[in-house]
Amino acid sequence: MQITPIFKKEIVSESGKLTAKQRRFAYTGIVPILLYMGLFTLFPILWAVVMSFFSYTPIREGSWFLGLGGQNPFVGIENYIELFTGTGKPAEVFRLAVRNTFLFTALVLPMNLIITLPLAVLLESIGERFKTLFRAIYFLPTISSSVALVIIWDYMYAPGWGLLSIMFKAVGLVPPKSWLQDPNTIYFGVPLAMLCVVIAHVWQDFGYNLVIFVAALQSIPKTLREAARVDGANIWQEFWLIVVPLLRRTVLLTSVLTVISSLQVFVIFQLLTRGGPKNQTQTMLLSIYENAFRFANNLGLSAAMSMILFIIILILTVTQFRILRTEWEY
Amino acid sequence: MTTETRKKPSIGFMLGKSGAYAVLILGLVATLLPFFYIIVTSLKTDAELRQTPPDFFSKEPTLKHYITILTDEKIPLARNLFNSIFVSVSRVFITLFTSSFAGYIFAKYHFKGKNLAFGVILIQIMIPFQVVMIPNYLLVVKLGLIDSLWALIIPAFVDAYGIFMMKQFIESMPAELMDAARIDGATEFGIYSKIILPQMGPVLASLGIFTFMATWNDYLWPLIVLTSPEKRTIPLLVVWFQTQHVSNQGLVLAASILTLLPIFLVYIFLQRWIVDQATSSAFK
Repeated sequence: MQITPIFKKEIVSESGKLTAKQRRFAYTGIVPILLYMGLFTLFPILWAVVMSFFSYTPIREGSWFLGLGGQNPFVGIENYIELFTGTGKPAEVFRLAVRNTFLFTALVLPMNLIITLPLAVLLESIGERFKTLFRAIYFLPTISSSVALVIIWDYMYAPGWGLLSIMFKAVGLVPPKSWLQDPNTIYFGVPLAMLCVVIAHVWQDFGYNLVIFVAALQSIPKTLREAARVDGANIWQEFWLIVVPLLRRTVLLTSVLTVISSLQVFVIFQLLTRGGPKNQTQTMLLSIYENAFRFANNLGLSAAMSMILFIIILILTVTQFRILRTEWEY
Repeated sequence: MTTETRKKPSIGFMLGKSGAYAVLILGLVATLLPFFYIIVTSLKTDAELRQTPPDFFSKEPTLKHYITILTDEKIPLARNLFNSIFVSVSRVFITLFTSSFAGYIFAKYHFKGKNLAFGVILIQIMIPFQVVMIPNYLLVVKLGLIDSLWALIIPAFVDAYGIFMMKQFIESMPAELMDAARIDGATEFGIYSKIILPQMGPVLASLGIFTFMATWNDYLWPLIVLTSPEKRTIPLLVVWFQTQHVSNQGLVLAASILTLLPIFLVYIFLQRWIVDQATSSAFK
């Protein structure tokens, strides 16, 4: 796969020089866009950083400076200390949320790969027409409205008469009394509600990685796999000895992207389980949202939460760019 | 190599092939079953919906719930539908313009501070939404845009990813055409609108489709900035429905299917394009 470097020196014209008129045009076009970015991206980032060091409630009288100061005092790193060690309810829920977010991610990633990798290999092995059709259908959930998908899964998990309960009964199993609201059913440390959310999310999201893996497989030279077949390798040997090593970089990159997106899942947690039961599916983003927009006590605390999530994601993003930069050739 | 050993892999290959189809079809069923299930359920009568244990299929399928939603005057569906279309279409056109225009300048002009400017734009890609969510909300309040559809449009004028994508594409276009147009007396904006833009059909379409789908499905930001019922977009309407009509499941299901429908229609015609675009975008 060819990776185009982000910063590339290009040739503008034969002379390589722009006239004053052209330069003026370039600035007239770019400056408004930069000002816009400044107002809606850079300024909010700095605002969030600054806010995380204040105890801030919008309705309290503050100073001229973003409403901070005055009745919204500077508290240093107190918000962060509270989040890490404090005994306030939001902080305790947040620490649970951090754990749940990581648990969710740790379950989503392997489950996603276990489904998408073999499926991609099988998909790659069949005829072009069917491949396109299958791929299109597998991709369907990823383009669908998350809200509608949550309603679908709400019906799938409906206790007693939902499709999953019906299917359980059909094969002679006893379905859980409540899929999403029973805090006491825990398998290997994973609450049932969390498991249900993971399954629904993987179902919604697997198409993405699948089409990426299919594309990566298509870029593996056919000769390599044919050679293996001629040498008598069966489909599993071909998979483990040829495909997996050659896909390593793609899988690594896709995994990082999956982790980054899993850390930011919102709709399904807010609508399907509402963080419950007993905060078992409370996540970082849900905590940030609830503290900032439902309870709205101290937006500084919410901003500090968002900074913690940001730093985690930033580390992953840097990793992603590192992987992207490594040279790769088959 | 004996004949026997040469036959062996081919038998295994055939077995593998039918096995492959079996697994792929199983995956297909798992993907489509939830959709299928709510479609058939949405066609049930109220009595059938209350029935335990339920039948999978309705004995007397009805479009009643759809008709109720489409005709009930208490449900501001038309208004909400208009909101979603208005916001999505505006964002598509604005994004296409700002992305292609900025992409053009970054691709074809040299000026002082260009790399810095581009770096600043890339910051947007690196910053997750939840970091700017709270300040942007406060900003929208300050600008008097709260509970207005403009709150969904104005902060989204510039899309860093779109600029990046357009820049990549325009860089590959030859400079000769531009120089020729300059000699013919074209203005710089004229080169953009008459030479560059007409050649960008496919890439504009890709970005447009993605912007449309993302905006149509967007939930968290509208949830934060919109409050009154007549300002809601379709996903907010569906959620409101779900909380209002817990007892009337048919309506909720019909509403969610109506939400999915426009995107599905777009997808049927453009699926190949959409999937290919999603694939290539992951590696940029």
